[in-house]
Amino acid sequence: MALPFQVWVQIIINGLSLGGLYVLIALGLTLILSIMGILQLAHGEVYMLGAYAVYYLAVKMGINVYAAILFSMFLMAGFGMLMERFLFRRCEDKVLSPIIISTGLTLILQAGAVIVFGLYERSIPRLSEGSFELMGVFVPKDRMVAMVISACMAYMLYLFLKRTKLGLGMVASAQNPQAAQLKGIDPHKMSLLAMAIGSGFAAAGGAMAGSILMLTPFMGTLPLVKGLAIIVLGGMGSLSGAVFGGILIGLIDGIVPVLFGPLTASLAPLVIVIIILLIRPQGLFGHE
Amino acid sequence: MNKKTNTMIILLFTLVSFLAGRWAGNDYLLSVLILIAINVLMACSLRTIFILEQISLGHVGFALIGAYSSALMVMKLNISFWLALPLSGSICALTALLLGYPFLRLKGIYFAILTFMLAESLRLIAYNWRSLTGGQFGLTDIPGPGTIGLPFLGTIDFDTMENYYYLTLMVVILSILVLFFIEKSHLNVKWRAIKDAESLAQSVGMNAILHRIMNFVIASFFAGIGGALFAHYQKGLSVEVTSRFGIMASIYLLVYVVIGGKEKFSGPIVGTIVLMMISEFARSFEEYRPIIIGFIAIIVVLFLPEGVTGIPERLTRLKQQLKKG
Amino acid sequence: MLKIKNLSKRFGGIQAVTELDIDIKERQIFGLIGPNGAGKSTTLNMIDGSLFPTTGTIIFKEENITHQRPCSRAGKGIARVFQKDVLFSSFSARENIKLGLHLHSNLGLKEIFFPWSAISKKKDRILDEKAMEILKFVRLGEKADEMAINLPHGNQRALGLGIAMATGCDMLLLDEPLTGMNAQETDQMMEMITTLRDEKNLTIVIVEHNIKAVLGLCDQVVVLDFGKKIAQGDPDMVVEMPNVIEAWLGAEQDAV
Ligand SMILES: Nc1ncnc2c1ncn2[C@@H]1O[C@H](COP(=O)(O)OP(=O)(O)OP(=O)(O)O)[C@@H](O)[C@H]1O
Ligand SMILES: [Mg+2]
Repeated sequence: MALPFQVWVQIIINGLSLGGLYVLIALGLTLILSIMGILQLAHGEVYMLGAYAVYYLAVKMGINVYAAILFSMFLMAGFGMLMERFLFRRCEDKVLSPIIISTGLTLILQAGAVIVFGLYERSIPRLSEGSFELMGVFVPKDRMVAMVISACMAYMLYLFLKRTKLGLGMVASAQNPQAAQLKGIDPHKMSLLAMAIGSGFAAAGGAMAGSILMLTPFMGTLPLVKGLAIIVLGGMGSLSGAVFGGILIGLIDGIVPVLFGPLTASLAPLVIVIIILLIRPQGLFGHE
Repeated sequence: MNKKTNTMIILLFTLVSFLAGRWAGNDYLLSVLILIAINVLMACSLRTIFILEQISLGHVGFALIGAYSSALMVMKLNISFWLALPLSGSICALTALLLGYPFLRLKGIYFAILTFMLAESLRLIAYNWRSLTGGQFGLTDIPGPGTIGLPFLGTIDFDTMENYYYLTLMVVILSILVLFFIEKSHLNVKWRAIKDAESLAQSVGMNAILHRIMNFVIASFFAGIGGALFAHYQKGLSVEVTSRFGIMASIYLLVYVVIGGKEKFSGPIVGTIVLMMISEFARSFEEYRPIIIGFIAIIVVLFLPEGVTGIPERLTRLKQQLKKG
Repeated sequence: MLKIKNLSKRFGGIQAVTELDIDIKERQIFGLIGPNGAGKSTTLNMIDGSLFPTTGTIIFKEENITHQRPCSRAGKGIARVFQKDVLFSSFSARENIKLGLHLHSNLGLKEIFFPWSAISKKKDRILDEKAMEILKFVRLGEKADEMAINLPHGNQRALGLGIAMATGCDMLLLDEPLTGMNAQETDQMMEMITTLRDEKNLTIVIVEHNIKAVLGLCDQVVVLDFGKKIAQGDPDMVVEMPNVIEAWLGAEQDAV
């Protein structure tokens, strides 16, 4: 392409930092989907609440941003567990009821946020000030930090699922709930854990987005849309698929608008997903 | 409830909806009535997809196609409204036909996600395709149906609110009748069979994917009609996130269907009317409206999964239990 | 009638069926046996089209049907009774059979969209009669109007057989038709299967764990183990083969 090299570096870095955010959202949604078998459509609102929690802790109460993010993650993890215990666990079926309940939650939380936080845009202090030079391009440090945090969190989740007894239990439960239950793995406990981890990840994503972009009560919609696209793209409940799909969609969002304009960019994810589904109905990383 | 009371209710209801246009008196109430009628059609067509146990989270995507294609046909190609209306429905049907095969091989949650993506992508396309759709400013000055002479009724100006309401009502009732016919037809017998046991249905020779596509096409056609009716009522179209073509709009439709009761044909009609009325009465506390609807949705799913139209059966069952015990 | 050549199926890392060759003659009752997970259901799934093989061909009545969908195979004369109780559960027993008859109901547009018209009603009556005949054959004559889901297990299996018969098939695939049945139900089902061959000239492929039933019914059996054919022939002969006893019958007899 006729683009100068620096622009390439710039848009790739933008794409990767978006991708990092998307990966956090998609990992949470995928974890919830594969363990509980449900679509958590209020996930974007957890992301939004997580960001506002950081705002209140860091800006209003003057706590260190990183500590505030950590605290917000635990807060949202607790909120996620409450949702599992009192709402999703009571659903009679796995498809429609959770969809309606979580959309009901979306309506309540969004409107509630408008009432409580107001419509003006706020922002969270940057994760890191200034920028550094990479291959002739100035990269803001906070984007880099956000990327590193996302990567670390994804890796920690990987270690947790592969190395700890609890994590292995979760994997077993996702693959075959009945067999796992026979082995003494409590499915409710696994669901609670999935909601806790998923919601915590969403909160971290929201906080980082809030430090790079702005906070609004509706900020959760976009990442939800992206997260869902990543789920079908990356393979229906596969965590490695979520990581790969997240980075891919992030790169598309970073690169395609610059190269081909916004119209193509708005069409690209759908077209890619349709093509992949025609070739592999089970998604890129899914099994038959 | 027996057949007779059912028919009576339906007739009474139709009568009231006609009289409502007279009673409304002012344009504001008429516009509420028009929106209710359009949403009833949207919800009914959404339920058609439910028959095969699929859930669409992007039904307004087809309304968007219908709205824009009807508006553009009338504005840019000078096609008459009366032709543009069915044509826009057909464009939606064609879109559904093309998307049907890749989409409908997936079921349940994944189909829901795909439709969700579709609607959001369509919205973004409309937002970014400036030359065609006016981009973020949208389309303005969409003409109404205008004046035509009808036998017995004389010349009627359909651009007045009241007459447009009657027009909408007629189109919606006609569409609902067609959907009702389909529900009572042998086609629906096969759909129910495919829902019960797709593998068995296929092994007795039913082409399940073909039926799924057909079902999706029919539902999308009527969603397109709903969109077109909306375009010529609103006279302007835009696709902001918060507009009638945003994700939330699809979600509201889904909530209408489930709260009304997805098992019954009357479910989406009752659900839409009840919830839109509640929402209208709560107008003075605008910002609390989504909260009210959200709470109702959660309560209904948890405690009344058959929806509002399931209440009579629930009461009879309760009575029987009381008699027994 | 049915020739399977070099058929294989992989699921991700699992090789479910490996290079299978089977030749089934007309009016045979053909047994497909083997331990759990041997690939029997997978083979049936490839014959009826619910799964497409990774490699290999399936030829039915001289026609290559390897990549045809289940619904077109149904039209060619292959019908299936599923391993689990798969029925049209929200319909009555009679309606279940009528759905099975649907390929022969030749409804026109008018009958599809106007089920209350005179001609539709007439056609419906004819279907009703045909359905009753089949229901009587599978001994559900008295239960025609009960909901499928409320029938006891044995009756549900019989109904499944009735639905498959209703398609007017030439070849019937039965996946463990006798599991969970009591002695009387088992005898009835076996009798029905033999009658279907003797009187209706059907070719039958049967997957079954009940070895007595297999010996009583089948003309020819193939033994699968880990997706591979390990023996084929007359059932009485096959059960004597040492490798078969080792792979499967041994385990089974220990259990008895
Ligand atoms: N859809 C699938 N995806 C992945 N693996 C599968 C699938 N279906 C079957 N398998 C695997 O293929 C192998 C053969 O399974 P199959 O169901 O054909 O066995 P079977 O002989 O019918 O056993 P059973 O007697 O238990 O019914 C098994 O290891 C099974 O786990
Ligand atoms: Mg089997």
